[in-house]
Amino acid sequence: MISLSHVSKVFEGKRKATALEDVSLEIAKGQVVSIVGPSGSGKSTLLNLIGGLDRPTSGEIRIEGENLAELSDDDLTRVRRDKIGFVFQFFNLLPTLNCLENVALPLHLRKWPRKKIEARAKELLNLVQLDHRLEHLPDELSGGERQRVAIARALSVYPPILLADEPTGNLDTHTGQEILKLIEDLHSRLGSTILIVTHDLEVANRCFRTVSLRDGRIVEDRRR
Amino acid sequence: MSKRGFYGLLMFVFLQQDPRQIVEEAQRRSTSQSQRYEGTLRVLDAKGKIIEKRWQYDRVGSHGSSKAVLRFTAPAEVKGVALLIINHADKASDQWMWTPAINRERRIALQDRSTRFFGTDFSFEDLEERDTNQFDYKMLGEESIDGAACWKLQSTPRQSKASQYSHSYLWLRKDNFALAQIENYSKDQLVRRAHYTDIRNDQGIWTAHEIDMHDLKRNSRTILKVEKLQYNVSMKDDAFTLQALRRES
Amino acid sequence: MMLLRLLSWPYLRRHVLRWTLTLAGIVLGVAVFVAMHTANRSIFSAFDKTIDQIAGSAQLQVSAGEFGFDESILERVQAVPEVGVAVPVIEANVETKIPGQGSILLLGIDMTGDRSLRDYELKDADDAIIDDPLVFLAQPDSVMVTKEFAERNKLEVNSRVPLLTIDGEKQFTVRGIMSSAGMTQAFGGNLAVMDIYAAQQVLGRGRRFDRIDIRAKEGITVDQCKAAVKAALGESFEVETPSARGRHFEGLLRSYSTAMTISSLFALIVGMFIIYNSFAIAVTQRRSEIGILRALGATRGQIQRLFFLESITAGFVGSALGAFAGVGMASVITTYMSTVLEQTTGFAQRVTELAIDPKLIVAGIAIGVITSIFAASIPARSAARVDPVQALQKGKYQVLSAGENRRRRRMALTVSLISVACLFLSYSKLFFYAGYVLMIVAGLLLAPALTLLLSKCLRPILKQLLPAEGTLAADSLVQAPRRTSATVSALMLSLAMVVGFGGFAHSFYTSVGEWMDNALNPDFFVSPSANLVVRAITFPASIRSVIEHVAGVDQVQLVRNARVSFRNVPVMVLAIETEKVSGTVHRMPVAGTTEEMNRLTGQGKGMMVSDSFAQIHTVRMGDIVELPTPSGLLKLPIVGIVRDYSDLQGSLLIDRSVYTKWWNDDTANVARVYVKKGEDVGVVRQRVIDALAGHHGLLVLTNREVRDWIMKLIDQWFALTYNQIAVAILVAVLGIVNTLTVSITDRRRELGVMQAVGGLRNQIRRTIWIEAFSIGVIGLVLGTALGAINLYYSLGMVKRDLGGLDLDYIFPLAFVAFMIPTILAASFIAAIGPAESAVRGSLVEALEYE
Repeated sequence: MISLSHVSKVFEGKRKATALEDVSLEIAKGQVVSIVGPSGSGKSTLLNLIGGLDRPTSGEIRIEGENLAELSDDDLTRVRRDKIGFVFQFFNLLPTLNCLENVALPLHLRKWPRKKIEARAKELLNLVQLDHRLEHLPDELSGGERQRVAIARALSVYPPILLADEPTGNLDTHTGQEILKLIEDLHSRLGSTILIVTHDLEVANRCFRTVSLRDGRIVEDRRR
Repeated sequence: MSKRGFYGLLMFVFLQQDPRQIVEEAQRRSTSQSQRYEGTLRVLDAKGKIIEKRWQYDRVGSHGSSKAVLRFTAPAEVKGVALLIINHADKASDQWMWTPAINRERRIALQDRSTRFFGTDFSFEDLEERDTNQFDYKMLGEESIDGAACWKLQSTPRQSKASQYSHSYLWLRKDNFALAQIENYSKDQLVRRAHYTDIRNDQGIWTAHEIDMHDLKRNSRTILKVEKLQYNVSMKDDAFTLQALRRES
Repeated sequence: MMLLRLLSWPYLRRHVLRWTLTLAGIVLGVAVFVAMHTANRSIFSAFDKTIDQIAGSAQLQVSAGEFGFDESILERVQAVPEVGVAVPVIEANVETKIPGQGSILLLGIDMTGDRSLRDYELKDADDAIIDDPLVFLAQPDSVMVTKEFAERNKLEVNSRVPLLTIDGEKQFTVRGIMSSAGMTQAFGGNLAVMDIYAAQQVLGRGRRFDRIDIRAKEGITVDQCKAAVKAALGESFEVETPSARGRHFEGLLRSYSTAMTISSLFALIVGMFIIYNSFAIAVTQRRSEIGILRALGATRGQIQRLFFLESITAGFVGSALGAFAGVGMASVITTYMSTVLEQTTGFAQRVTELAIDPKLIVAGIAIGVITSIFAASIPARSAARVDPVQALQKGKYQVLSAGENRRRRRMALTVSLISVACLFLSYSKLFFYAGYVLMIVAGLLLAPALTLLLSKCLRPILKQLLPAEGTLAADSLVQAPRRTSATVSALMLSLAMVVGFGGFAHSFYTSVGEWMDNALNPDFFVSPSANLVVRAITFPASIRSVIEHVAGVDQVQLVRNARVSFRNVPVMVLAIETEKVSGTVHRMPVAGTTEEMNRLTGQGKGMMVSDSFAQIHTVRMGDIVELPTPSGLLKLPIVGIVRDYSDLQGSLLIDRSVYTKWWNDDTANVARVYVKKGEDVGVVRQRVIDALAGHHGLLVLTNREVRDWIMKLIDQWFALTYNQIAVAILVAVLGIVNTLTVSITDRRRELGVMQAVGGLRNQIRRTIWIEAFSIGVIGLVLGTALGAINLYYSLGMVKRDLGGLDLDYIFPLAFVAFMIPTILAASFIAAIGPAESAVRGSLVEALEYE
């Protein structure tokens, strides 16, 4: 499903910073994997590379057998929008769009017919139990609700892969739990491959597999 | 001694005291009914360039009230251009120029008399004949020019407006009263010098056949050679009018 | 100063592009201002210089308008005891037939003696400029040219120069080359001197002179001499110092330069909005920085001063660059303007050097700096009002403009009410212009609110069209009204100017078209030159019979026109054959009745004037107009006011009989020819051409040719203003670039999210484009509305102060229709750069951006 071989990422700047060094990783379909490590260990970078938001300095990343390095920017975007859903720590909802519009955005970008979009968006918001908040703007929602909208948006095309960067990082414990439950629930229902970047061990422990990073290298790959 | 000779001698003695008499005598001696000559004009400028022109000069009448027509005959570009001068006893002359190519005359205004006569070293004024009454004369002494004894006189115009020159020196030959040289001054500066040579007796009138006019400011000189000189040719008075100029072009 | 270095410089470095664009606004505004004025000045000074140089040592000049006067006047002047030297002059612009040389100033002077040369300070006159003066005079084809002209065209003594004369193109022979300073510098060296009597013939002037140059006799003052000459000649002649003639010329061009100044100021105001925009954005973006400063103890005054210092610096740099660019532009504009002026007024000028006025440069820079300070003052104030606590909270926008909109709207309402009130008092100049300015101010005050309103209206439409990109673009506008509205204001202002000006042009073209239909209806025109403004060459009245005898010709009407001085301004007098003309031309009178005015004018008992003349000189029916003529002062009452566009400064129509009598001249410049009914115009025209072929170099122009020529003139007259408008629009479009640049920075995260959730690059681009289009659309709507008002005032202004034309209000629909795609295309172009930078750059950083 997801395969990384000898991936390195170096940030060129005034000071050269190596974020990832020779990382190789295989993630099978349907796995729920958590990536843990202290800040600066390269876990977000790893997620960004897998999600095609960034390109590695060296090494090869394959998503369902497709080598990301060989793709143009737009083809990379196509892989992203068809196969990958993103959930961010700060939700990254568009403040001017209401819940329905936010969720519908990726579908509009895919040029789905409008009727189908509306049906799907409602279905998704129903799935995250926000069917009563369709017309609300993100500002009018609580943190947990916002993250649920974000998850609904990430799932809009039912992508085979869901990438979540600290999905609970900006939420209180209780809401965090709810979100995790929602993710687990979605996994069991949709069978997506899920990668969660977190520094919360509790979150990590709930996953089938935990990859630990330190200074850009995998130090541990534990399966339960 | 004939009566005439006696008067001449008497006058000669007398004239030595009165410069005006000398000038008047000179004028009297050169008086004729008419005059005609062909002139060759050579202008030598400071850079040594030479321009040559020819004209025919006709004059009728006596000093002070004569009329003259000066008609260019060569080179071809200027052939037919004429200058009509009508001298007056009591004032500056009237002058007109005729240009056949545009078929019209132009008056030479008084203000332009001091300017050069068509690129020569003569000014329009130098072509005029002036009556002695318009000037005051003073005897300065005797000098010799080209080996001939001359009186040196100073002439000053009575009306300063009438002339571009403040005063002139004249050299008149003692032997024949012919003009040998003129120096024209403007405010104490010598501007033009005319030198008369090749003085011959033509039909009883002593006439210079070469006049060398030297413009000292420009350091340029014009030499007028007089040829085929004739006095007292029969000429009609009405040939000296603008109509005649027009007709003959 | 410390603050400036610590805070402003890093910010500037981070936003180089935006500041470059901001500066471009100031640069363009100041450049246009400096360029226009420098060009104006250069032309005036070239004219003055030419007058001066041609005048030589003349202290006074005697003239009688452009008609000239009889030769005999010269002797009358020379006879005045106070006059030292008086020389006649003929002056004409003549076409050289040397390719690329255009016209040459032909100076006919009396070459009889060498005085003229000395008087014109040709210092080496002694070195025989003329090979042989006698040949020069004897041959009427002799000309003297300047060394410069000779070198430019590889001419030597005895070379041939083709010039257009009354007998058509004729070869002249160079018989002298002038090389010294003084006169030879005049007219850019395109100067030829010939004998005045030959000039009379070549130009068909008869025995007439244009002018007599006078030098007072020694010991006589210029004033004494002037009084004496005036006394000798009577009122019909102007006796002026050479410099006074330059002032006439300036009077003639005043309206043109005023129009130029107004449009350059417009460009500057538009630039001001761009500056305002940049500073307003800067304040918003540096909110937290300002908050930190305030928290650290910076006073409000210090913050405000910081922004003022920034604006002064920006203003100074931009203005200095602008002044520099303006001087560069000036030479191009100068060349263009002098061509236009030559073609429309017949006053040819050859400008060889720019009159760069340090004062103007300083003024330009000052205007730029003041504009910047003024534009930055509101943002600087709001910067000072930043609340440190709120500013330091991340992710929260402090709404600075709360209440501001309401206040603005209230002010706008008040201002527009006052403006409307001014309308009722608009007979007074002060109230008229006050109303104009207030109307614009009201428009500007309302712009933000209207921008917001229109953006909100656009959202559903855009959402319908492109749900993702459209909605986001519209939201971007709605979310940041401040970012958008200044740019919209700038665009609105530019478009208002376009509409106002376009409307004026449209009305003018329509009006001129009607006039041409009415007054210019002969089948063809006979004229010595294809340029009907050239009045240097005339032809004798005997041409009439030549044309009349051509089979098929029905009627020939002779016209003589020239400028004469009226109240010290040169005005165009047209001597027409009233009776004949009234049979073929049916003008709608503005005042008076057609029959009456034709009858009285025809009888020589009155004159008709154009409405613009009446307006400019505030004269009415029945007023007596006094014109100097060679035979004394001509006094005629105004018996009719008509529309006539023969000259932009207004025209006077008198009967030809009056002209021949008072001016003692029976020449003409144009013959209007009508063909008998049923005859083929083309055939008759050919016959006329054949008939005229033998003895005169006259041209036979078809009605169409004359119309096209007039239209071309008007086009040229307007073209420069069009260019200035283009600059204003350019500045406004720069504003769009600026706004979008900021917009994509503000929305970096949003655009990142869009890409993260699957937006292709084209989709990202599209949302930027739509934003630009929307700004364009809103600008168009508001600009058209303000333009409709501006047009009203523009026409009022034209009537009052610029040429006195009374034009009908016609809204320039076609013009606006043309502006729509233009502005939208410009907006699109403005969006290209920002759109590209939006799709570049790191997605990861964009998503973390805050």
